Amino acid sequence: MLPQADSRNTGQGAPSRMTAQATGRQDPLLAGPGKRLLYLGNEAIIRGALEAGVRFACGYPGTPSSEITDGFARLAGHTGITFEYSVNEKIAVEMAFAASLAGARSIVAMKHLGLMYAGDPLTTIPYIGVNAGMVIVSAADPSCRTSPNEQDQRFLGPMVHMPVIEPATAQQALEMTRAAFEVSEQSSLPVLLRPTTRICHTRAPVTVGALRTGEVSGFVRDPRRHLPVPANAVRMRREIENRMTVASDLLGQPLFCEASGEGRRGVLAFGAAAAVCGEVLAELGAETRFLRLGVAHPLPEEWLTSELRGLDELWVIEELSAFLEDAIAAHCHRQGLATKVRGKRTGDLPKMFEYEPEVLRTALAPVAARAFVAPGAVDNGPQVAPRPPVLCAACPHRSSFFAARSALSEAPLFFNDIGCYTLGCGQPLESGDALLCMGAGFTLAAGAARVSGERTVGFMGDSTFFHSGMPALLNAIKEDVNMVAVILDNDVTAMTGFQESPLVDVKDGQITRRTDIVDVVRALGAKRVERIDPEDLPSAITAFREAWDYPGLAVIVSERPCPVFAQREGISTGARTVFAIDTERCKHCGRESCGQRCSQGIERAYERAMVRARSQETGAEQNVPPVAACATACPLFLCVQGYAAHIAAGRYADALELIMDGLPLPDSVCRVCHRPCEDVCVRAQTDSPVAINDLKRFVVDWADAQPEFPYRLEREPDHGRSVAVVGAGPAGLAAAHELRVRGYAVTLLDAADEPGGLLRYGIPAYRLPREALAKDIRRVLDLGIRFEGGRRLGSDFTTDELLQHHDGVVIAIGAGKPARGEVPGDGPQQVDALAFLRDDNCRISGEVVVIGGGNAAVDAARSALRRGASGATIVCLEARDAMPAISAETKEAVREGVNLRTATRVTRLTATGVETVCVRPAGAGALLPSDYDPVEGSARQLPATHLIWAIGQTADREALGPQPSLRWEDGCLAADPLTGQTSHARIFAAGDVVNGERTVTGAIALGRRAAWGLDRSLRGDAADTRQPPPLPSARDLRGRPGAVRIDSAQRAVPAEREASGRTSDFSEVVGVLTEEQAQAEAQRCTICGNCGNCNACVDLFGCPAFVQDGAAVRIDEKACTGCGVCVSFCPTGAIHAVTAEGGP
Amino acid sequence: MSATAAKSGVATIRILMVGVGGQGVLTAGRVIGEAALAANLDVRVGQLHGMSQRGGSVETTVVIGAGESAFVGAGTCDLLLALEPLEALRAAPRLRPGATVWLSTARIVPGTVGAVDKPYPSLSEIEALLTARGAQVHTVNATDLAASAGDAKAVSAFMLGMLIGAGSLPIDEELFDKTVSAFSPARSRETTLRAYRLGVALQRKESGGGLGTA
Repeated sequence: MLPQADSRNTGQGAPSRMTAQATGRQDPLLAGPGKRLLYLGNEAIIRGALEAGVRFACGYPGTPSSEITDGFARLAGHTGITFEYSVNEKIAVEMAFAASLAGARSIVAMKHLGLMYAGDPLTTIPYIGVNAGMVIVSAADPSCRTSPNEQDQRFLGPMVHMPVIEPATAQQALEMTRAAFEVSEQSSLPVLLRPTTRICHTRAPVTVGALRTGEVSGFVRDPRRHLPVPANAVRMRREIENRMTVASDLLGQPLFCEASGEGRRGVLAFGAAAAVCGEVLAELGAETRFLRLGVAHPLPEEWLTSELRGLDELWVIEELSAFLEDAIAAHCHRQGLATKVRGKRTGDLPKMFEYEPEVLRTALAPVAARAFVAPGAVDNGPQVAPRPPVLCAACPHRSSFFAARSALSEAPLFFNDIGCYTLGCGQPLESGDALLCMGAGFTLAAGAARVSGERTVGFMGDSTFFHSGMPALLNAIKEDVNMVAVILDNDVTAMTGFQESPLVDVKDGQITRRTDIVDVVRALGAKRVERIDPEDLPSAITAFREAWDYPGLAVIVSERPCPVFAQREGISTGARTVFAIDTERCKHCGRESCGQRCSQGIERAYERAMVRARSQETGAEQNVPPVAACATACPLFLCVQGYAAHIAAGRYADALELIMDGLPLPDSVCRVCHRPCEDVCVRAQTDSPVAINDLKRFVVDWADAQPEFPYRLEREPDHGRSVAVVGAGPAGLAAAHELRVRGYAVTLLDAADEPGGLLRYGIPAYRLPREALAKDIRRVLDLGIRFEGGRRLGSDFTTDELLQHHDGVVIAIGAGKPARGEVPGDGPQQVDALAFLRDDNCRISGEVVVIGGGNAAVDAARSALRRGASGATIVCLEARDAMPAISAETKEAVREGVNLRTATRVTRLTATGVETVCVRPAGAGALLPSDYDPVEGSARQLPATHLIWAIGQTADREALGPQPSLRWEDGCLAADPLTGQTSHARIFAAGDVVNGERTVTGAIALGRRAAWGLDRSLRGDAADTRQPPPLPSARDLRGRPGAVRIDSAQRAVPAEREASGRTSDFSEVVGVLTEEQAQAEAQRCTICGNCGNCNACVDLFGCPAFVQDGAAVRIDEKACTGCGVCVSFCPTGAIHAVTAEGGP
Repeated sequence: MSATAAKSGVATIRILMVGVGGQGVLTAGRVIGEAALAANLDVRVGQLHGMSQRGGSVETTVVIGAGESAFVGAGTCDLLLALEPLEALRAAPRLRPGATVWLSTARIVPGTVGAVDKPYPSLSEIEALLTARGAQVHTVNATDLAASAGDAKAVSAFMLGMLIGAGSLPIDEELFDKTVSAFSPARSRETTLRAYRLGVALQRKESGGGLGTA
């Protein structure tokens, strides 16, 4: 038997905020008879039920029906009504039917979608028949305002054998609901009341009748009636016809079918459309017979027939489908009536969506006596940015989606469900690749996973999980589907207005009962379940990663109460802090002084990787995120992770810009750089370093292949000052380029006829093809630099002469004076490496021995083979791994047939070659031959016809001529390391002449620095708008793990020439990465550094407290509710607490 | 419109209230409706909303006068109460010539402004667009003024005060006061009423030209 209503088991469903509102003032729903009140349609329905003596109410919230269940929840404790928010609509319909069988008038409410879920019980209820009156309210939503579809539930009438009624006004909603109980009880059929959104959510004056307390007559045992087994069902089917006849008679009253006006033309309007239609007909002055119908099934046939007899044509005005139009047309046909029926079928009215006044004014124009003219212009108005609903600040769903998307770099398919979290679909959280209906988040994920073999992720909230997600999860567990199922548990059904979730009871601000979803999931048989707090972002990201890596179905239960609900209910969530953005850190990467353009946009995947890296960092809050390791190692401070990101995204022009803003000789450097960046690449900790220079080469080759070179330099206008740069090697070219960019007239002088210096004369063409070098040089000179070749400092001109014509001078003459060791004896012909490399036409034969372990030695040996030598052997003091040469080059030399005699010294020259002895370093830091001890008994003979010295060069002081004003130190021209200024105020120096490092890239950096130093001495602060790369010692060298974006351990290797064929000529050996290789390789970058373009808080997280103010982002302190999640991922560490409110 | 309210002979007034979820637009509509009903006027209040609490656009309509629906269609709005400038602009096509607009100038910039190619126009541009439709525009920073009364969130109460103070509604002021009080939530009733009374007082002080008439 149904328990008698009492406050113990009925009041708990009412959210306490509602009872609070009722205190001090009588609930308007309980107003005395004859009062006129402003009721929502939904409230009028409640009142109608109260006046009919309803004793049981239940339902499942869903816009636009939610106020019905909410109202009953509020009243339940006061009116003797038993109420529940049922777990789903099927259960709700069954509960209401059970109450009816037990003799209580019952009402059940839901939105249109929900009734379809209750289809199974619904179709059998008319067979059994109700006992006390039962009304089903299922609110329709024309125009899909808050629903995924619009559907016409009137078709359920004939299908289920159930009367269907629809009110046009709030007053009718009350009266029809009250009447529906009578119809139901007398016919034994459930009655479907179908209001539309427009009725549910319009407030209008309603005159109320008397409240009535109904009886609960009790369940009367009658197996023949209550058991629809097949034997009984056949009889029951016959009874339905009689029941429908009873209903039809009762529904013929004027409340449901009313006529007014006169004319041979009729307009019949149904439900909500009747209210609008009446107004429009008045506006149009139409002289018609106007029929208002409030019942869709069964059709009031007698009334219709009599009305139709007097009409030539009938316009049928009904929303959604041509349900009545078809029924009436069929009725005319059966009755032999000539009335022409017009509506959707005849193209006179729109087939879909709500009938707003504008729609009916247009459609009914043919029956108008006068045209309707709106007082104002009817147009679309200005284009206005949309304002869609967003997840609230501090919403735990946002954090859950954000953690999932950040954790899973594979970007798997995410299937979403119905609830607030539906707002996770679309930007910025991108957490819904498909959506269907309540509970389908898991089934969609499972179905897609089962056929595609891809691991998927499904999401749903706690209420939805209990509504229909449990069977879906069990189904997936049964098949051990390759998916991650995420339950977003926020304690409440938030979207529809904070109705209770089936898993908690809240009373007076306390949670008095809680079902632990983790227990439920385990009981369903899930092998892996993890509970997370989405506000603990680092742990949440780790949990998503681990769940993703788990082989089989993994469940995550993300628990955090809805903060809005908690606040409403007075449930304390502890003190909250407000946060702010530190503009000194936000939008700063540590490289911003370099004058490089890097605002070309940012990829979401790139931002996600930064977020992932940052949130996995330990002690992140105390630590300013550093510049990437590669950039700190690069003499030019190039933003490698930036151009790698651009390459990964296919934006090669942007990548080129990032490279060329800091590097004037890209074609050369992308071939010959010594790659210090790759030595420090954090990817090496996982597998192998990113092929950074090959990426650069890819971009530069791509750019060279474009019809127009896709990089445009922004040059300062000429300001009339003039400078001379002496030496056209890498440092001199870089200095000249930089000074020209800074608006100087530049004269570049070199002793050789052609510019290029070491690049042309010291690096063989198989490493740096002359055409590539020519492109670099042409781009530099084309800026308007005057080149004077064949002009040697000291013999052809002096610095004093230059200073007579120029404001300043940069000396970049390199280190061209070869060094030779002293070896006794007489034997092979001796030559210096640079002289040998320089002489393109030289051919040799016989065996060559090269002394030295640097790049010049390797280049000389490989060049010797190409020039006809029958063999080449490198002899050096260092062990193989200590050789200064680029190891990749040494490896290629060996592949080409060069012999290595490492840890070896030449002791004597002989008639047939040289005599060698093995050595070992005498101590740490061994450099000179005297630092090495010979190994006894290791002397060997090595045949040689030629001996090439490659043990280094020094700066040639004599080449400068007499320069008493310039100071020298340790064999180098002394210069300020910061500015390149020499002891002469107007003479600056760069490159190998001042520095012992002797790398092409390092020389370019020094050239840029000297140019800035000179500019600064001449123009002061104006020079600082574009600064040189900072000195390596000034950089923050802390690295951090970064985040692995793709797991490929395979470093991309560009195509190379076959080793066997290479030594026949000087064609380039190393090729370029393919586009596919380059994109994959670029994604191997872990983004270990910071980025000033980062906008992750807005682009990815999207908390409404973040306000985009131009390029800057700030936190609106009124909107910030202090969850602090953003602090744990902000890649620049820019977010910090400002105030603590209500703290202890 | 020539239709008149059956009981009082007042010409039909179509009022549109727009704003952002959480600003109190729905409550404001209800208050006007309840006050109209208490004044024995025919009235309907339309409050089409879905997830309006999630910061989306929200509107409510009040139609005072005979009829059964609460639509305020294109070119028919007599009185626009806009709690946010961009929402006022969105409502512009609904205005009839000669309409009165009460506009709170405090901007709430939607996240889509950066993402879509539709900027947030300046206040003067918005005013110009509204005025071009023949509307008389009154601007006021209701957020700041409500804050000065003790609660920056009482924007809608402040604006209702302006409206009644200006005599824009066919409702007795005393009756309206009572309705505002009755429909204020108990825990914030005091500050709500203070904001409302500030609106009334400011408007009355400025009566004649009106406060900040464009």
